[in-house]
Amino acid sequence: MPKTTQCVILLTLLLSVACSPGDPDEVTTSKVYRHAMDGAPASLDPAQAASLYSKFLVVNLYDTLYRYKYLARPYQLQPNLATAMPEISDDGLRLTIEIKKGVHFIDDPVFAGGLGRELKAMDFIYSIKRHFHPSSRAQGAWLWQDRILGLDLWKAEGSDYDQEVSGLRALDNYTIEITLTRPFPQLIHTLTQGFAAVVPREAVEKYGQQLSSHPVGSGPFRLISRNSTRAVLARNTNFRQEPFDLKDEGYDQKTQGEVGLEDLQNKVPPFVDRLEIEFVTEDAARWNAFSAGEIDFIKVPVSQFDNVLSQRNPPILSSQHEDIYQFEAASEAGFIYTNFNMADQRIGYHPDPERNRRNHALRCAMIKAFDWKKRNEIFFYDIGHVFPGVLPPSVPEFDPEADAGYIQRDLESARQLLRVNDWQADNLPVLEYGFPNSVTERQIFEQFRNFMMDMGYPADKIRPLVFATYGDYQRAYSQGKVALINSSWTMDYPDAENNMQLYYGPNAAPGSNSANYNNSEYNRLYEASTALNESTERTQIYRQMNQLLMNDCVSITGIARTLLFLWDKKVIMKPDRSFLGGYFLRFVDLEDSLQTHE
Amino acid sequence: MESVWQRLRSDGYGMLGFYIIAVFALAALLVWSGLLGQSWAVVSGGRWESISSTHWFGTNLLGQDILQRTLFSSATAFEVGLSVTILSTLLGTVLGALAGWFRSSWLDELILWVKGVLDSIPFYLFAAAIAFALQGNRWAMHLAMVITFWTTTARIIRGEVIRLKQREFVEAARAIGLPPRTIIFRHVLPNTSHIVLVQATIVFVAAIKTEVILSFLGLGIQNGVSWGLMLAESSQEVLAGHFGNFAAASIALFLLLVGFNLLADSLQDAMDKRRSVS
Amino acid sequence: MVVISCALLIWKIVYKPMNKLPYFVRRLLFGTALVLGVTFISFLLMVHFGPDKTYELIGKNPTEQQIAEVRHALGYDRSFLLRYGSYLRELVTLDFGLSDSSGEKVSSMLARSLPISLLLVVPGFVLGNGLGLILGMLAVWYRGRWLDRLVTGASVAGMSVSFLIIIIGLQVLLCTPHGLNLFPVRGWQVDGLASYLFYVTVPTLALVLVTLGYNTRYYRAIIADESEREHIHALKAYGATPYELMLKHVLKNSLVPILTRLMFSVPLVLISGSLLLESYFGIPGIGQVTFDAITSGDQPVLKAVIGLTGVLFALALTVNDFLYKVVDPRVARS
Repeated sequence: MPKTTQCVILLTLLLSVACSPGDPDEVTTSKVYRHAMDGAPASLDPAQAASLYSKFLVVNLYDTLYRYKYLARPYQLQPNLATAMPEISDDGLRLTIEIKKGVHFIDDPVFAGGLGRELKAMDFIYSIKRHFHPSSRAQGAWLWQDRILGLDLWKAEGSDYDQEVSGLRALDNYTIEITLTRPFPQLIHTLTQGFAAVVPREAVEKYGQQLSSHPVGSGPFRLISRNSTRAVLARNTNFRQEPFDLKDEGYDQKTQGEVGLEDLQNKVPPFVDRLEIEFVTEDAARWNAFSAGEIDFIKVPVSQFDNVLSQRNPPILSSQHEDIYQFEAASEAGFIYTNFNMADQRIGYHPDPERNRRNHALRCAMIKAFDWKKRNEIFFYDIGHVFPGVLPPSVPEFDPEADAGYIQRDLESARQLLRVNDWQADNLPVLEYGFPNSVTERQIFEQFRNFMMDMGYPADKIRPLVFATYGDYQRAYSQGKVALINSSWTMDYPDAENNMQLYYGPNAAPGSNSANYNNSEYNRLYEASTALNESTERTQIYRQMNQLLMNDCVSITGIARTLLFLWDKKVIMKPDRSFLGGYFLRFVDLEDSLQTHE
Repeated sequence: MESVWQRLRSDGYGMLGFYIIAVFALAALLVWSGLLGQSWAVVSGGRWESISSTHWFGTNLLGQDILQRTLFSSATAFEVGLSVTILSTLLGTVLGALAGWFRSSWLDELILWVKGVLDSIPFYLFAAAIAFALQGNRWAMHLAMVITFWTTTARIIRGEVIRLKQREFVEAARAIGLPPRTIIFRHVLPNTSHIVLVQATIVFVAAIKTEVILSFLGLGIQNGVSWGLMLAESSQEVLAGHFGNFAAASIALFLLLVGFNLLADSLQDAMDKRRSVS
Repeated sequence: MVVISCALLIWKIVYKPMNKLPYFVRRLLFGTALVLGVTFISFLLMVHFGPDKTYELIGKNPTEQQIAEVRHALGYDRSFLLRYGSYLRELVTLDFGLSDSSGEKVSSMLARSLPISLLLVVPGFVLGNGLGLILGMLAVWYRGRWLDRLVTGASVAGMSVSFLIIIIGLQVLLCTPHGLNLFPVRGWQVDGLASYLFYVTVPTLALVLVTLGYNTRYYRAIIADESEREHIHALKAYGATPYELMLKHVLKNSLVPILTRLMFSVPLVLISGSLLLESYFGIPGIGQVTFDAITSGDQPVLKAVIGLTGVLFALALTVNDFLYKVVDPRVARS
């Protein structure tokens, strides 16, 4: 029948469009590493590398001046595009950075003859300037504003890329000089960020906003294809030849000896030819794909902890998985917490000193009613790390002696606090608890409400405020419309300063101080510590600030998740997710015997 | 009406549907009067407990009793179903009658235009849009459904009114000079009541089903629990082998929908017979 | 209120002369009015009141100035009418600009995802309607007998199962170790017929199951109506074979209502059906793109999807009117 024929033709046509030819570079016998992430990057433009997922890809597609050592823990900085660590002037305000010669961007029609041109110091300077251009949609200005000499002025004078910034200069093609307005010990950390990755100006000018889906970098990989569910990257064959050195990367045979890293010595990364990165938001689907062998690596979803572990503390892999998978448990660099909106008079600061005192008591009571043990058990399988305040175990400032009462549930004293301060069911305020829509967020809310109900808080006085997008949620709490703000903080760089600024008064909404906490003593201590590097002196100050936060009952905090990584034994690697997790991908290798992949 | 009820009683499937609905309605009433399902939010057990004498359907991730949540959800279903059905049927009947009576007038074309516009926007996007516009308002979902569901009712009523307008009793009413308002509301509309009833049961079904999908997408129930939210929860659990939420919500939802579909069928039959008799 | 009464007044004034135009010109005008209405309402809701991407695009610790810059870059600071005007221009030129999320061209996102969605829903759509039609004919042929009862009963059951339950249930049954574990849980890496069948089977089954009940019932009603006609009875009396009767006469005469149903369900299945299927099965089609756009507030994509489906639907409505007119001249007379 002609109809059937027509249908067949249509279907074939559709098939041929939808299954557009695989990329020409595909080699059947290449080494392919298949990674899974629990979210998709929105943009691959370094200027917009704000999310974990974007950063993960950006540091592989582009180059940064510095990176972190592959294996050293705690994290240590390592020159990447730079030849060495910066030369720093005595006053700490002037840094001189030499970059490597002969580094080329990947081939792209944007360059003369289609051949990638050499990366120069000016490119780095241009890439930083982009964050201060009003129409670039860049998101990294907060790292450098008020800190690099002349940069803010450059913006005020109209952001003309041809105009020089006094604190950000190329002394020659391979030398960068950065001048600071005040000491900024975290500067080198900021240069590891995806935000600081180097972009060629001509690509930005040609592709504009579309650069975010058409990366032109000099990183170890280049993009082959990407859609909303996966990205495929191929080895950048022109990536600079730098043999792998175990010692240089901070190898520790005692803890890292079992993975097979020794074989990598003196090989030249990147070791795999192709990266297939799947974006799978649903935990169960990701797990199923992993157990079916469709992907090589997974951050194990909490619902599978039972199945994967034979013991929780310390985590031990169950025997049926031991034979096929490698395993690692890592404490995340960040934490989850619930802020009180201090700018909200129902629960925060109040002009009437009496009410102000009662609000403080109410907050403290809610903190006492919060059951961290239960939260940890239900949502983190009891292997998350609960700690008081904002200094999680992953930072050296973490204080094992800190006030553990802050994270200890004590319903009796919570009730008593309410009683003494004249809070009853009928005069307790109605509070909105905000969250972006998701099943888990809703469950976390319901559990929170239950904790408060146990203390005698009426269920209908803690109301969910659900937002369709994360951005709408952010807007709402930035505008003070949410009383209880549940968030998580993922540290940008391994320095606790990144956590302390979360409660610094001038960073109040729309800044990252979503609690709108404003304590002059805390602010003073923060300002006094900004010039300091990590040191005993600074640790003392940070711990003091941490105590201030707890005394003021500003936030129910916190828990640092323990992440479980599982990967196929044929893959040789030490995966990472913290900070700029993606840096490890260039060091991933597959066992030779198994390198062919259907 | 009388004869429809009698015919319904003689139809076994129709009565089965009716009884199923009655049981759920009773559950909903008990929930509303505070006698049943009140501890849907309370954590009363451990995580994912299996079926036991204290937890008939087991517990969910948080340790809440799934039976309590299922029962409370039937009240949610009726709240959504009733409010959407009543409002959209009222709107649809009135606008449909007006369009049918003043057929081909500017009013008819206007109503048809509004109907066409609303029909042309993909429903879930429309619901999402309303949810955005009302920023987390608990009635956003109800409103979205009312705005889109009245159109079908209006189309059917419009056709029926056009048909009835040619009937003798209407001609007679017009001949003695009754104002259109009186004719429409006193004489024409009462004669459409059976169609309205059938259409209402269909809308009820659509409302409950839509609530499930919208709640799953996070555009539905804000504060409370519903079968849709339970299914959303279950979508994260079933692959890990926990079926409590899924089983409870899908069985309850299926039963209630079967009840309504049987009733709608039976009413339709009764009406067809009545029509063919008259 | 004032706006509404003004609009009513304008409508009345414009309506009078319009009434005198020939039928098809009026239909065409009505179609245009429909498109304008659809675009206006969807624009008002989705863009004017819609999601705000500003806070997703600003960095940490932003200044008021930076917020203003992002809003400007997104065009949020332009006036309502200006933005609506450029929306209409975009619809006409089919150039929807760049996605606010990925910076990709919206048109190329649609071009990439639409074929996938078509591939995804076409088999289910064809099967769902084809089977529905066959079952409907069988039921009518054996009217009142057990087969009819079975089909009717099954379609009531089918109509009572939520799409969501079907999707979750099928996934457990067919894609996990708790069931048969034959098909992938998610994904769409199609590069040939085998892999196509591998990925499309479960979504197709879901689509068939969810539509079959409604389709069967609808087609049964239409065919039953048509079989009641006198000439069919006459043919039956003359001993026409069931095959002849059903295919040649009944089916041919029911073509218009069948076509109508098909036409109207295309946009619905494509957007609403694929929205759930694709977001659940992780398939990068138009539904997933739309879902992502909703949850990330990507207005250019939303504008394109709503605008295009609205226009398509309005077109279908207008074409349908013509179709009825061609088949049934009475419509034209009235």
